[in-house]
Amino acid sequence: MIAKVLLFLWIAAALAAGFLWAPLVPGLGATTRVLYFHIPAAWITVVALGWSMVHSVLYLRSRRLEHDDHAAAAAELGLLFCVVATVSGAMWAKAVWHSYWNWDPRETSIFFLLLIYAAYLALRSSIENDERRARLSAVYSAIAFVTVPFLIFVVPRIYFSLHPDTIINPSGKIEMDPRIRLGFFAMLIGFTGLFAWILRLKVRLVRIERRTAERATA
Amino acid sequence: MDANWVVLGVALLAWGLLFFYLLRLDGRLKDLEKR
Repeated sequence: MIAKVLLFLWIAAALAAGFLWAPLVPGLGATTRVLYFHIPAAWITVVALGWSMVHSVLYLRSRRLEHDDHAAAAAELGLLFCVVATVSGAMWAKAVWHSYWNWDPRETSIFFLLLIYAAYLALRSSIENDERRARLSAVYSAIAFVTVPFLIFVVPRIYFSLHPDTIINPSGKIEMDPRIRLGFFAMLIGFTGLFAWILRLKVRLVRIERRTAERATA
Repeated sequence: MDANWVVLGVALLAWGLLFFYLLRLDGRLKDLEKR
């Protein structure tokens, strides 16, 4: 309970710091605030899909359904945070580029990522048998994750992009106002804590559902 | 009123609602796990 209250206060303080204490980026104005939601959501997308891949591989090695529970829950959350990153990015694009969608390399990449992981959930929902669903979706998730670093980190750096520079620029430095940087990293940590909490809830829910189904058939 | 405060207020309200929803869900799952 203490950890949850701390998480609540942490994110509330990070939000207040981002809105009231950190300055705005020259040229971006009030749209700077999107930084505190958009990038943490994109970060959690990568973490969640990576977590899904790790547990998919662990399932293929051990055939324990607990790993499949983690893989599925993490992929669902990854997709959810990917939608948050896409929507917040589109809102920012409308304010700065005057268009919600421009097929910028990052927008195109995230669109493909959404399709790939929507297909993962469609695959899971099409198979009734637990073992078969776990096996096939583990293979899919392990292969699908190969596209994540490529689409998120490689493609946007190869092609010309309207998108602002990456957080760590090509010279390996973080060029951000120290107050923006503090608010941003605080939100990054807060989002990671929130993801861990929701993931745990989702996994527990799946286990309760399975136990209930087993009791019903026994 | 400063628009900054309004947006911050909406963001904090949304975060508060999500937090209490997750807290209630957590409690409900604890009950179900005990059964």
